[in-house]
Amino acid sequence: MAQANSKEPKNSQKRLFLGVLLIPFLALLTALIVGAVVMLAFGDDPILAYQGLFQGAFGSGRAWSVTIRKMIPFILTGLSVAVAFKAGLFNIGASGQFVMGSVCSVAIGIHFEGLPMIIHLPLSILSGMLGGMIWGAIPGLLKVTTGAHEVIVTIMMNYLASLFAGWTVYAGGTQGQTPGPLWDRTARAISETPDVFESAQIPWLFGPPYRVHYGVFLALIFVVLVWWLIYKTTIGFEIRTVGQNPKAARYAGIRVEKTVVLTMGLAGALAGLAGTIETLGLNHKFAPEFGGQVGFDGITVALLGQTHPFGVVIASFLFGALDAGAAKMQFESGVAADIIQVIQALVLAFVAAPLIIKALFRLRSSGDEEHATKLNTSWGGS
Amino acid sequence: MNFWSRTARISVCLTLIMMVMAILVEITPLGENPWMRVFFGVSALNLTLRAAIPLVLGALSGILCERSGIINIGIEGMMLAGAFAGFVAKSSTNDWPLYASLLYSVLVALGVGGLMGLLHGLFSIRFRMDQIISGTVIIILAAGLSSYLYDRDAISAGKFTPIPIPLLSEIPVIGPVLFDNAPITYLALILVFVVHFAIFHTRWGLRTRAVGEHPRAADTEGINVNRQRYVNTMMGGMLAGLAGGFLVLEAVGQFQEGMTAGRGFISLAAMIFGNWTPFGALGAATLFGYTQALQNEFLLAGVTTIPRQFVSMLPYIVTIVAVSGLVGRVRPPAAIGKPYDTEGSK
Amino acid sequence: MPKPRISWLSVLWLSSVMLLLAFTTLSAAPIKVGLVTDVGRVNDRSFNQSAWEGVELAKSNLGLGDRDIKYIETQDAKDYADNLAQFIEAEYQVIVTVGFALGDATVKAAKENPDTLFIGVDQYQGEALPNLAGLIFHEDQSGFLAGVLAAGMTKSGTIAAVLGTDLIPPVVAFNEGYIAGAKSVNPKINVISTYHPGEISQAFVDPEWGAATAKQAMDQGADVIFGAGGLTGNGALQEVASQKGVYCIGVDADQWFTVPAAHPCLISSAMKLITPAVADLIGQAQSGTFKGGNVFGAAGLAPFHDFDSAIPQPLKDMLISVKAGLDSGIIKTGYGN
Repeated sequence: MAQANSKEPKNSQKRLFLGVLLIPFLALLTALIVGAVVMLAFGDDPILAYQGLFQGAFGSGRAWSVTIRKMIPFILTGLSVAVAFKAGLFNIGASGQFVMGSVCSVAIGIHFEGLPMIIHLPLSILSGMLGGMIWGAIPGLLKVTTGAHEVIVTIMMNYLASLFAGWTVYAGGTQGQTPGPLWDRTARAISETPDVFESAQIPWLFGPPYRVHYGVFLALIFVVLVWWLIYKTTIGFEIRTVGQNPKAARYAGIRVEKTVVLTMGLAGALAGLAGTIETLGLNHKFAPEFGGQVGFDGITVALLGQTHPFGVVIASFLFGALDAGAAKMQFESGVAADIIQVIQALVLAFVAAPLIIKALFRLRSSGDEEHATKLNTSWGGS
Repeated sequence: MNFWSRTARISVCLTLIMMVMAILVEITPLGENPWMRVFFGVSALNLTLRAAIPLVLGALSGILCERSGIINIGIEGMMLAGAFAGFVAKSSTNDWPLYASLLYSVLVALGVGGLMGLLHGLFSIRFRMDQIISGTVIIILAAGLSSYLYDRDAISAGKFTPIPIPLLSEIPVIGPVLFDNAPITYLALILVFVVHFAIFHTRWGLRTRAVGEHPRAADTEGINVNRQRYVNTMMGGMLAGLAGGFLVLEAVGQFQEGMTAGRGFISLAAMIFGNWTPFGALGAATLFGYTQALQNEFLLAGVTTIPRQFVSMLPYIVTIVAVSGLVGRVRPPAAIGKPYDTEGSK
Repeated sequence: MPKPRISWLSVLWLSSVMLLLAFTTLSAAPIKVGLVTDVGRVNDRSFNQSAWEGVELAKSNLGLGDRDIKYIETQDAKDYADNLAQFIEAEYQVIVTVGFALGDATVKAAKENPDTLFIGVDQYQGEALPNLAGLIFHEDQSGFLAGVLAAGMTKSGTIAAVLGTDLIPPVVAFNEGYIAGAKSVNPKINVISTYHPGEISQAFVDPEWGAATAKQAMDQGADVIFGAGGLTGNGALQEVASQKGVYCIGVDADQWFTVPAAHPCLISSAMKLITPAVADLIGQAQSGTFKGGNVFGAAGLAPFHDFDSAIPQPLKDMLISVKAGLDSGIIKTGYGN
């Protein structure tokens, strides 16, 4: 980058900064507008709906607590996906890693009664992160050894995780099958674990009815840790280089294979941590209905946050609010929560293709299509 | 092409073995053994075919897109959209004669699938969105819209019923499995041949493959690269929509939110495992279908005390093994995933 | 002067009338009824729907307004408590929670809010709380009758059941009753019953699996199939309807009305009458005669509709006598002991 004129870089930096902030904001706004149009087209009242949405997210102390609570898994799964993106990898496996994190943390949490919290809680958390990490590293390993594309492998691993987790809490079959190892015998026919011991529960910051726990701080700490790792360390540099240009990275002496596996492991650990915090902080036990959409939510949040940890926090806040407001929205206006998914897809589309927004709003193309995240776009194996 | 012949040869051999075993199990005392019935019984074969059809269609969809250079992981969303659209069409024409209503619904499913394909093309080509993200958007959009718009009071009054082919369906054991099926099943199998022929023996197919392997060279030959990609993606979308239509109009008769349940992703695996060829995809889809069938057979027969969750893992594990190329290397089209720039260099 | 006295009187008269009116409206104040579904929707053609229809029936019985009844569809099992809280905060007097899985959350909410009345559909109450009625049914008896019917109608000697998950006791009850009933008619009968392999959140919303499993059972010789598992079961019913020569039996409600596509094969349904039971309980809440603890609702077979002439009279008679035997306790299904 020639620095002949000291004013030049400042201007383009300013435009870059504006672009980074403006695009996501416009994307969300446009998505909300399109969502309103869809609602109108099908006979729903968007004003009432958005009012309900807003109230549900910000309208009362309890609403705020739900927003903050919903934010936590978004932050961590968003980080997980973002970290993978930095290395040019697409981690759709966040929900499987989330579930494994949850199961592994509970496995420790429901045993070792009498262990002091100072040991029990961190141990459970580490266990959860380890579970997620392994679950993320496996697709990474397969990719570097056999070329299997991580998209398919991680999706399959999601199903495997959900099945495995279901087995651990299986209540036993009528055909004589034995119950799973973590199943709560006193829960009769419900497949779930016993409650985690108090010494392994994340304490409340504000107790019921607010139910905000210290996990929120843990998540924010990891945001800073990840930011530091990605932007301030050698490993982070290697990850980013591999993401931008794997051939150049290899030429520069970076061990691409090691970096890929490491990144996927890290991504898995973060998603596993998300599951762990949700479990140890909120539910205090594991039940199979866990997981679900967290994978795609993480992708949306990561992209909306421009794959930057701080951006992820802001995006998580927005999506946490959307999620929190959904129930109230249905309550007030009868609009089903699925419209939120539609809005989510639209946001994703607009953020991932700034050209759409630029076309819509007649913005000048700054030539910075680097924002449009480019991934390793091949199935590998060749 | 050598590799393709190998996969095809393996598939054909396995299929013949299956058929022979099925006949033996039906006719001889071999069928007394519950394990034999589980693996080779007629119900297993029927289940295999039933499970394979949406996978085959999805894989064909993927082949059409990817052979021209566009990665399409959004097949799952296109399938769901087609399923939903087919259902809406069917349930709003319940008062028509059944066949008219069903045919109309199939056309609607095809149309909506094509639209989703067009959208994917638009995102990937015109707006240069990363193709994997574009596919993801399609998936989330289809899921959200279909759930939001789904009127649960709507019911569809019927589905396609099996049409036995005279003579052929009377072949003992195998006859009813292969030749007593409903229309979309037959169509899907025919399409395998059609797509194979189109891709490898027509000028259109040549253009498609050129655009997918060497778009720059194709361009200099006068082929409109982007238009070819648009057309292929739309057709791919239509096939995925047909797969969705199969689920609603033939397999189940109802729509259910999220009913595609990962089939779009397994189709991708079938496409890769089959090395981007229609017959390879058929073989892979049959294999995956067989694992799903076995799952159900184990369940029904109650022959094992292995926890059912592990039995259910079978199809997914097989999929992972398949795409890990542990059964041989796979080679995707060379120019796949990269947007084509008509001005300037690649 | 006459004027002031008349105004005095009229004021007095008017205000007493108004007071009277106020009192009557207060005591007949429409109660507000909320419903929280299990993971799933209100019109799932089955469970959640039946409960909601009970609320709607109560609304017309008791003259409640449109804004007095409301439902929240649970997206995620983690949200049970939050969804309940929405109604509690809005001061709904009666809250109906649908399904076994909501049991714990409902008990908790009932303990924390003694002034609100709760109806827990399919929630067995281990300890009776005065403000929580657990609405349960004798599904095994309903299933027993279905089994008798199936055994009486089968020509191949093989019948089948396509079921939701065996993690939910009512489903197991239906199945065990079905098998027991069939065996009571023909001890050598072959019953193929298959439970859905997935979790509770999937097991009742998988019509594709239901259809495939029904086909599988038919391939193995079954000619009467009992579809018992929400939408999963409905898929089975529709699959059976598309084949000739096979009968099907529905579950929960009279599925003749909820699954018209099943008309070609549907001879009856093993019912548990959720709708009238819920309406009754809400009525009791309104009139102040609500009692907590376990409440048994009615269970039985649905009418045969178009198949009435296809069912042989001796079989019909047997069904009537079996029902009587079950009701009186002479016949036992063997479930739950």
